[in-house]
Amino acid sequence: MATQIEDQLRARARALLAEGTVELFVGYRQGSNPLRVAPFVARTPAEAERLVWNAVCVPNLAGTLLKHVGKRVGVALKGCDVRSVVQLISQRQLERGRLHIVGVACRGMADPEQLAAVAGESVDDLAQDGNELLLSVGAELSRHPQDGLLLAKCATCTSQTPELYDELLGEAAPAAPVADRLAGVRALESLDAPGRLAFWSEQLSKCTLCYACQTVCPLCYCKQCPLTLSRDDPRRQTREPASVFSYHIMRAYHLAGRCTGCDECERVCPENIPLSLICRKIEQDGSPR
Amino acid sequence: MEATFEPKILGMLCSWCAYAGADTAGVSRTQYPPNIRIVRVMCSGRIDPLFIARAFESGADGVLVAGCHSGDCHYISGNEYAKDRITSFGGMLDFFGIDQRRLKLAWVSASEGTRFAAVVAEMTEELRALGPLKLKVQ
Ligand code: SF4
Ligand code: SF4
Ligand code: FES
Repeated sequence: MATQIEDQLRARARALLAEGTVELFVGYRQGSNPLRVAPFVARTPAEAERLVWNAVCVPNLAGTLLKHVGKRVGVALKGCDVRSVVQLISQRQLERGRLHIVGVACRGMADPEQLAAVAGESVDDLAQDGNELLLSVGAELSRHPQDGLLLAKCATCTSQTPELYDELLGEAAPAAPVADRLAGVRALESLDAPGRLAFWSEQLSKCTLCYACQTVCPLCYCKQCPLTLSRDDPRRQTREPASVFSYHIMRAYHLAGRCTGCDECERVCPENIPLSLICRKIEQDGSPR
Repeated sequence: MEATFEPKILGMLCSWCAYAGADTAGVSRTQYPPNIRIVRVMCSGRIDPLFIARAFESGADGVLVAGCHSGDCHYISGNEYAKDRITSFGGMLDFFGIDQRRLKLAWVSASEGTRFAAVVAEMTEELRALGPLKLKVQ
């Protein structure tokens, strides 16, 4: 079901493409089920009709922009994605002049996994009514307040209104009360070193070095990465615990000063390793050289 | 556990000061623990933290990075970069539970053979007390 923002977004994308302001418009399309969206690039005004905007526009589009460097690109971004884009601009990976940013005021995105859990069965439709999400499973319709089903990162977000945009859709939302972002880091830091080593040994023992966390990260833009070498490279890591440690420590070190806390790494990790703790640690440290 | 644990230390020493300092220690027959294995690098600023991570990964219990005293770097400011890098990297190691004392940064000039020996001796003692780094647990 189309939301008001979605209609406005399609209209703007259509206009921008038609008048030639942009060559491409990056947004989301419907994904494999009603709780999923996927990044989508519209190239013609007609294709703009496929754009969606709903309560589960979770993926960070900043990474998609990196694939279209050099083109004039329009893009719909929520606040946390704008933070990544701003960082990419300051790292000279994106050109401000070639971007037309349609900022979308955000009240928090719902966590698709939590939605699936409350629905219990596969959801046939997701709709929105004010602050409520309507889930339909078969003929049954249930209502859930969106605030109770947000992604963890949204509870501590202060970017409801994007910090940079060319035009803004939606009401600039009031900054929500901020939960303590660094509570998890502090809890871990209150342990002694062997305690932390035990914690990470347990968590990282699940890591399969699938590199999804690195692939999804919009700030991991190096063309060649010494941590994720190809399969036939003799220097490629094995799945020994020690190698997994050095992968994660080095990833953390490389992201220091770059990570903007979009928490995409944690979202895509198939083993549910709490990678956001590492991101919060970087955030707490500021930006070391 | 065996009676005395002998830690393995990887030393990365800059060619102009610390490595020459180690050489001075050898030439003047100053005794120091044989726990250290030395890699010579052109400047402490050449040391990518990745080298340190790989050292721990490959079984080092401690890593010593040593270079010229502040202001003495052959490449003017390499040691200042090293200082910032090693300090922040130490914090990262600590967050993952690798005790910061396992990564040591020292400034040793070419004439300071005894100082080099003292640094290695002190670090060896400290690592003996800390015990082996068990990154391979589980
Ligand atoms: S982190 Fe902020 S901007 Fe991003 S989805 Fe959550 S509330 Fe919206
Ligand atoms: S996504 Fe998870 S399992 Fe894959 S490499 Fe990253 S931490 Fe390991
Ligand atoms: S040459 Fe010794 S630290 Fe740079």
